[in-house]
Amino acid sequence: MNDMTRPDAIDPPYLYPGYKSTLARAPREALVEVPAGTLDVPGPTVPKGFVKDGDNDLTIHGKSAPLGEKMVLTGRLLDADGRPIRRSLIEIWQANASGRYAHPADQHDAPLDPNFLGMGRTFTDDQGRYRFVTVKPGSYPWRNHPFAWRPQHIHFSLLGNAPVQRLITQMYFPGDPLLAIDPVYNSVPDEQARKRMVSALSLESGIEEVALGYTFDIVLGGARATPLGI
Amino acid sequence: MAAQRTPSQTVGPFFHEALRWKDGGNVTFAEVGQRIVLTGRVTDGAGEPVADALMETWQLSPLGKTPAAAGDARPHGFGRVETGKDGSFRIETSMPGGDAPCLEVSFFSRGLLKGLRTRVYFAAEDRVRADPVLKAIAGSPRVKTLIAQPAGGNRYRWDVRLQGEGETVFFAV
Repeated sequence: MNDMTRPDAIDPPYLYPGYKSTLARAPREALVEVPAGTLDVPGPTVPKGFVKDGDNDLTIHGKSAPLGEKMVLTGRLLDADGRPIRRSLIEIWQANASGRYAHPADQHDAPLDPNFLGMGRTFTDDQGRYRFVTVKPGSYPWRNHPFAWRPQHIHFSLLGNAPVQRLITQMYFPGDPLLAIDPVYNSVPDEQARKRMVSALSLESGIEEVALGYTFDIVLGGARATPLGI
Repeated sequence: MAAQRTPSQTVGPFFHEALRWKDGGNVTFAEVGQRIVLTGRVTDGAGEPVADALMETWQLSPLGKTPAAAGDARPHGFGRVETGKDGSFRIETSMPGGDAPCLEVSFFSRGLLKGLRTRVYFAAEDRVRADPVLKAIAGSPRVKTLIAQPAGGNRYRWDVRLQGEGETVFFAV
């Protein structure tokens, strides 16, 4: 029994045949239920110095600006009660504007950009807000099925306050026609839940004559893990 | 105001440099403790190595406390490593405190649309079976999949099977 059998299913099932890599990796045994709260322990506290100035700007680490549409990505990290998750680590990674990752395993024949590595990190502030500056990632083909292309996306890793809040997800872009054919995006059964992975265009949160603006709020589970009174 | 949770997606195959933490496989604590080395391999339903997984560990300190933030380095008590081409991993840490010492372990990888949560224990089988967290499977032979085997000195071995015969126990969290 996995999440699919629960009425409040939000996450994808482990086994989703449309995404081929799940076939050999999804557990076949039922996930084991644990008594409520027993794994609800506080999580790692990442030291302040872990994030350096400039780590949230993916466009400043080369000799000149990277290729592509520059964009500012802002949003809030919240718990299921809508409370901000403060001073929590967010890590992101993405393809460059041509749809190529600066990663040795990426064999897509699109150019690398010497001015773009595609990775960043930041802490949320006291209101749970975060901000990255980057370029819009390109789409790229993959071998899942004939003519398979991933929609433009940015990978997000969230530590939250506790292991029960740990989340790795992907952020998509509004109006991307490839969303309709993407098995990773569509593995989330509920349409409203899928839409919560799509960012919103927000010109005013960009930079006039410099960068587009997108907003993306992230909501983690395990509201009990949010410390009170800080 | 209630908010709806953001769904999980796969970590994909290209996370390595972005999520790589310096010395992420050498877990540190404020307290002195018995250092141990845990090695093993992650395999899939076909018995093939899972060569692109991210593994994270979290645990109590040697004195059984929740590790606090410290210094400018990575967080105390938290391990993060990648599996190698042969699916292998290596974590060096301190023996956690508690009656049935264990690490909380998560795996993320291509083909996993959501992370998998499990535990690895450094304790005798009867102690592990008595852990209230494992109540639902206390009498099952599958409990053995959660126990690291002593491998001489301070070394322990723990192999993880995502699917199929000998499949590791994963928790519904």
